[in-house]
Amino acid sequence: MRNIWTIIKREYKDSVFKKSFIIGTIIGPVIMLSFIFVPALLIEMEVEKPYHISVIDFSGIMFDRLQERLNEKLPDGRQKFNFVKIETSQDGLQAVKTDLKKDIISEKIDGFLIIPAAIKNAENVEYYAKNVANLDLNRQLRSELNDIIINMRIEESGLDADLVNSITKRVGFKTIKIKKGEEESERGFGEEYLGTFAFVFILYLTILLYGAAVMRSVLEEKTSRVIEVLLSSANSFQLMAGKILGVGSVGLTQYLIWSLFGMGLVFYGSSMVNVESSWFSFSPMIFLYFVIFFILGYFLFATLYAAIGAMSNSDTEAQQLSMPVVFLLIIPILIMSMMVKNPDGTLATVLSIVPFFSPILMFSRINLTTPSLIEVWGSIALLLLTIVGAIWVVARIYRIGILMHGKRPTLPEILRWIKAK
Amino acid sequence: MTVLNVNNISKSYGKFIAVDKVSFTVDGGCIYGILGPNGAGKTTTIRMIMNILLPDTGSITLFDQAMSDKLKSRIGYLPEERGLYAKMKVLDMLVFLGELHGMNAGKAKGAALKWMSELEIADWAEKKIEDLSKGMQQKIQFIGTVMHDPDLLILDEPFSGLDPINTQLLKDIMVRQRSEGKSIMFSTHMMEAAEKLCDEILLINKGQKVLDGKMVDIKNRYSTNAIQIEFDGDGQFIKDLPQVAGFDNYSNYVDIRLKDGIAPNDFLKLIVGRVNIRRFQATESSLNDIFIEIVGGEKNA
Repeated sequence: MRNIWTIIKREYKDSVFKKSFIIGTIIGPVIMLSFIFVPALLIEMEVEKPYHISVIDFSGIMFDRLQERLNEKLPDGRQKFNFVKIETSQDGLQAVKTDLKKDIISEKIDGFLIIPAAIKNAENVEYYAKNVANLDLNRQLRSELNDIIINMRIEESGLDADLVNSITKRVGFKTIKIKKGEEESERGFGEEYLGTFAFVFILYLTILLYGAAVMRSVLEEKTSRVIEVLLSSANSFQLMAGKILGVGSVGLTQYLIWSLFGMGLVFYGSSMVNVESSWFSFSPMIFLYFVIFFILGYFLFATLYAAIGAMSNSDTEAQQLSMPVVFLLIIPILIMSMMVKNPDGTLATVLSIVPFFSPILMFSRINLTTPSLIEVWGSIALLLLTIVGAIWVVARIYRIGILMHGKRPTLPEILRWIKAK
Repeated sequence: MTVLNVNNISKSYGKFIAVDKVSFTVDGGCIYGILGPNGAGKTTTIRMIMNILLPDTGSITLFDQAMSDKLKSRIGYLPEERGLYAKMKVLDMLVFLGELHGMNAGKAKGAALKWMSELEIADWAEKKIEDLSKGMQQKIQFIGTVMHDPDLLILDEPFSGLDPINTQLLKDIMVRQRSEGKSIMFSTHMMEAAEKLCDEILLINKGQKVLDGKMVDIKNRYSTNAIQIEFDGDGQFIKDLPQVAGFDNYSNYVDIRLKDGIAPNDFLKLIVGRVNIRRFQATESSLNDIFIEIVGGEKNA
């Protein structure tokens, strides 16, 4: 026990005072927050500018109607669309176009429209601009030009324009989500699932990162040949346990820092930054499960990663061998995005109890729906049993693997290690 | 007083038998050498003594108790594959090793500093290990092995990779430990080093014990009728003398093995006058010769 404690201490000091830990601890939440806030802030901050558009109207009928219809005002009271009529003949068009293009380049105008004389016969309207990907502007111009022409055609055909419009009126479509056992939810998809995804993403990332840290650390002890020096006083199980617990407590330290930071943000930040804090409003139970599933998931995967570190001789070998373990973590992420549709389905329920998937899937289900306590604690119990089994097997691989240098062991060799006395 | 008793231990990896029914005992206040060529089973034997590998059969008793992890703190073990944490500070590293050996942090620090000043590397205590030269890192490694004042040192190929200064330093440490009544067991494939240091030896080859016992006894038992001479003139006729069993011509001297019953004195009479003798010495066989004789003899049988 004493030896395990000594090893944990060394491992902890070694990692926590490293630059990478400090940087990771600071950058982690910055990245997470920027995922959440930056798109919202960008939309908030985007200031609408008035458009200056020159119009060459060969039809002679469109300009006034366009100006009349696109009569919106910006929040600051300015006119959104400022049209300038350019008079020219077909012969002078090239010269006028050249001038207008120069105006666009020098940003005097945003663009210009050329409306052909035969617009009613479905000839194309041309729009020249620096930025032709401005979807909002394109949509408005096109739809108004369309409406003008259609209305003119209807009038000419002698039909009642209002009648036609009312007949062809589109059906409105509004989405309202009903949640089991709760009132109507007004939150949209993003608000509903973004929090869950964010939590699951952190869970996935930290299990992966800290698991791989265990692997690298074991490998480093092997390649630096310090391992057998340690075996002079500790046994291989103490080394493995100390390593996993040491790196794990580094992970928990990081969680602790993040959650203090998060709580601070909820209490003070939300009042300063004017953003919906609904994404932070998770119940303490969810956070408890978050920590439980991190600890259990970490133990399971760190144990597997420890075995990989012990079996490998180089980083490249370790990378190759860790692919199956990474898959075990990615599969539940893929299942989760499908499970969102039906988190209480039989398949989702069964998969969320499977030990290697449960840290992510059961935690997701706890977020998305309300699985029964039997399911939750059953999956936790099963996970614990699997961890005990994994530790038993890996300790045997570890014991021999850390002393082996040279070629990568084959599967029969590894099986023999497990069976060895 | 018996410090270590190894009783009939064996270890196989699959079909390969690394160690085959090896027994020996190490007494207190003695330097004990395990000798053999590479791949003879020395490291496997030592790892079983250290409880790092478990023997398939047989038993190991240390200080009259069955070997267990608890006894490790009374051993100073220097493995053949050795290293340190490159990023750690020297003193932190040593305190860590001391704590693993059951010392408290304060005591470990005291012992580390004492040894460091003794080996003249105290100035490096706060440096990172990766900043030290290889020779200095080896010194740190020795300190890690002896700082907890173990009753038994177990050193696996301790001289491999050492420069002459550190080789001498380590020999001094070993001799000093013995004078304090401690025991030292070490393995090597370099017979010359063992010959000078060991009180007792165990020779193993292909996992099996070939020979063991006190150095003096072995030398007596295997001493052959050998002489070494330096001379001027053509000595080729010596090879053909009926009294000569073996003749090795080196550039500066010749090694001669006489047939049984031929006294060196009589041999000398035969050659005096035919060559000009500058030096004449009756020699004991080296451990190397003994080993080659025994192992080679087995091969021929």
